[in-house]
Amino acid sequence: MVTNRLKVLVGGVQLRDGVGTVIDLVGRIATRAGLHVLANERNYASTIYGAHQFDPLLICDEPPISHGDDEIDILVALEFDANPDAPQQPNRDTILRHGEHLKNGGVLLYDASTGTVATEAFEARGIRIFPLPARQIALRELKREVVKNMVVTGALFRLLEFDMDQTFLRAFLEERFLRKGRELVDLNLTAARRGREMVEGVLQERGWENVGFRLEPRPGRESLLFMSGTDALGMGAIQAGCRFYAGYPITPASPLLAFMDQHLYTYGGRSLQGQNERESIRAALGASLAGARAMVGSSGPGISLKVEEFGLAGTAEIPIVVVDSQRAGPSTGMPTKTEQGDLRMAVGAGHGDFPRIVLAPSTLEECYTLIVEAFDLADKYQCPVFFLTDLTLAEVRQSVPERFFQESMVRITRRGVLQEDDLRRDGFKRFRITDSGISPRIFPGTPGGIFKISGTEHDEFGFVTTDPPKRKAMLEKRMRKMETYLRENARGPQIYGDPKGRPVLVGWGSSKPVLLEARARLSQEGMEVAVVQITHLWPFPIQLVKSVLEQASPLIICEQNYSGQLADLIQERCLLPTRRILKYNGRVFYVSDIIRGVREIVRNGAAEFRVAEFMPVTVEAHEGD
Amino acid sequence: MSTQPAAKAPASKIWEENATPRHRIQWCPGCGDYGVLSALKMALTRLELMPHEVLLIGGIGCSGQIRNYLNGNGFHGTHGGPLAYAVGVKMANPDLRVMALAGDGDTFAIGVENFVHTCRRDPEVTLIVMDNGVYGLTTGQRSPTGGLGQDQPEWSEEDPPPFSPLRLALSAGATFVAQSFSGDPKHAAEVYVEAMEHPGFAFVNDFSPCVTYNKFNTYEWFKERVEPVPADHDPSDLEAAWDLLADFRRRGRSPLGVIYRNPRKRKIYKRVPIWPQELENIDLEPMLRGFR
Repeated sequence: MVTNRLKVLVGGVQLRDGVGTVIDLVGRIATRAGLHVLANERNYASTIYGAHQFDPLLICDEPPISHGDDEIDILVALEFDANPDAPQQPNRDTILRHGEHLKNGGVLLYDASTGTVATEAFEARGIRIFPLPARQIALRELKREVVKNMVVTGALFRLLEFDMDQTFLRAFLEERFLRKGRELVDLNLTAARRGREMVEGVLQERGWENVGFRLEPRPGRESLLFMSGTDALGMGAIQAGCRFYAGYPITPASPLLAFMDQHLYTYGGRSLQGQNERESIRAALGASLAGARAMVGSSGPGISLKVEEFGLAGTAEIPIVVVDSQRAGPSTGMPTKTEQGDLRMAVGAGHGDFPRIVLAPSTLEECYTLIVEAFDLADKYQCPVFFLTDLTLAEVRQSVPERFFQESMVRITRRGVLQEDDLRRDGFKRFRITDSGISPRIFPGTPGGIFKISGTEHDEFGFVTTDPPKRKAMLEKRMRKMETYLRENARGPQIYGDPKGRPVLVGWGSSKPVLLEARARLSQEGMEVAVVQITHLWPFPIQLVKSVLEQASPLIICEQNYSGQLADLIQERCLLPTRRILKYNGRVFYVSDIIRGVREIVRNGAAEFRVAEFMPVTVEAHEGD
Repeated sequence: MSTQPAAKAPASKIWEENATPRHRIQWCPGCGDYGVLSALKMALTRLELMPHEVLLIGGIGCSGQIRNYLNGNGFHGTHGGPLAYAVGVKMANPDLRVMALAGDGDTFAIGVENFVHTCRRDPEVTLIVMDNGVYGLTTGQRSPTGGLGQDQPEWSEEDPPPFSPLRLALSAGATFVAQSFSGDPKHAAEVYVEAMEHPGFAFVNDFSPCVTYNKFNTYEWFKERVEPVPADHDPSDLEAAWDLLADFRRRGRSPLGVIYRNPRKRKIYKRVPIWPQELENIDLEPMLRGFR
């Protein structure tokens, strides 16, 4: 019997079958029960309705290192209709696509409203099958189709011997639905009970005592929250003093717009849905100019459209935080699939040279803490600060201790902003040439202070000039800020393990947990590797990174893009040769991808390893030795 | 809104400070933008504004330089952007007096997306377009308002007829639409004052001849064709505004004055918090609640 360690995958037809609803319900309730959950592959399609959608959820006693591999313990298939290609057969997308990843001895729960499935092959692998006519029960007995989700949830809870007295479910439903009437709560509880009864029927009929997996609540643990990376980022931004947000609808950055819309007004801020990507960033620059801490969010295609304004922000020295929730590019690419392909754009997009800072968080917690740093850096260096997340990080849902957020409260400083008294004392040159490159600024409306700000080259007062010495001095002043940043604010990489003489896995962004789990598994196999995660990517902190990376043997950069953008950057900046593990099929790295890549590189001397399969299988330890 | 006579008093000297000295102004002698500059100073004087309360957002092109030719905070961003910056400034700090000063290319070509939607958004921003029908700074290419009044027998994709900014503004839902002529700065100043007193987005299209690159729409050409809006015109009546434009077009004339003015009821917002003491020690509970 496995307690509190399982991965359940729920699949079905997008929008119709309630995949998201079931996962959200199970995730929230398991979190309330003190368990740690992680769902970081929200596989939906760029359509509203009709595509196959699936959502794996890991439930553990302790926080899992990563999502691991794509093996499944419990498969829940919600399709109930006929197969459009073969009307005599039921639609079994989830079973067909994910059945092979179901572990031997696992569980298959499927909607049997339109008939049962031939499951001999599964049963031969020791998989327990539970046909559940969820939609039929909802429609015929309970007269409300939507409660099918609750029938499934009830069945799932019974399989896991969890919440047998419906305490958690009842409390949850009462919070949600009681103001709409007791009947709604009761209806949902009845639906869950019916699902449970169906499972009990199968257990009895087959003479099974249990299914080998169970969830046990951990009461008395500290309070956990069930939230997404986007939620953490939005909350971090508001805590950091962001009071103006602008975005244009785009996957996967739209949830951030929704979050800011919902919450900014509580804190006196405002959130704008731009009429296009350019209006969004321009309005945010205007708000920043007026004194607000401002942020824009988008994904690759939208970031491409904003590029002109980055140069303006750099030249006119206007602080702005730019969140790029990366997705698979180029062009429209794959809107609902993940990738880490915008690093080169973040460090290089735009004509001419201007200062910029690029940060990349690697976990949900870092989305919260690092965004605070992003606002401080934007304020201090008065330039665009890029915050590179990706679809995985934006949409990961996991349990986080509530304490984490309360303890991470920060002090806010508005660096370098002059007020009336300062102006009277010192006079004011908006673009004063300084050693640090940082000039004083004011917010418009300050008595005694007038600024002229321009994206055209300008003198210390902001008046347009093309005078060669003035141009040289002003451009150098701006770029000097990056030297100051490297001296005062750059942070070295996060280092796990001793890199000396060992293979070193270098990553950035959301793949860190996978690299860490690969490190742990390789260690069990007897291969010690180190993991180096770079969060502060630009200006590239050569002095902090090179000394670490040059100890590696070999140096393996793992990233989810075609060319190896970080690897190129490391070669260019540190003059070190790199090997690469690359994946760009739209799916996240799995631990087995990394392990296979490390083997190919370390044992077989490969220069690079491109993860090829649509869904890689787990490689057995010491295969091929 | 102003019902008093024109800004008769000369512009206050205060608007000459923190500005490019007059002999360094880089407009051609006789440029229409000089008329806009003096009308603008008159209007600002008339409204008794202080320079630090004003933010002038210039567009790209000759006209956008105006932001540096008088006192007041100035901002100069990318081509087509002034109105979008203005929306953000106004949302963050409604207490600032924000003006967008741009040309017809900036506003109606590369920035038309912002023009249309700013008409809808209706921020308390005054837009003065110095409309000369050409891209002067880049040696006189035709703009979307270029070719006004020209009798061209054939049109093509490369060479389309001009469109009417006033009609576009009305269609897009602007709440204040007016037209002025920099050949008559005193009247223009009156119009600007009314625009700046309008509680919403105020659009003034100012005919501002390019003496170097537009040899057709000259001061003389405009003088013969502009005509004040009739005294009995009711600017609060949208239908009347459309009728007025139709009537002027029929007669080959251009109206000067306020064509449409109908303020919307606005939702009031305060300045967003910007200072540390306003931003610190916030209560996270309203956000945390949803995640339990």
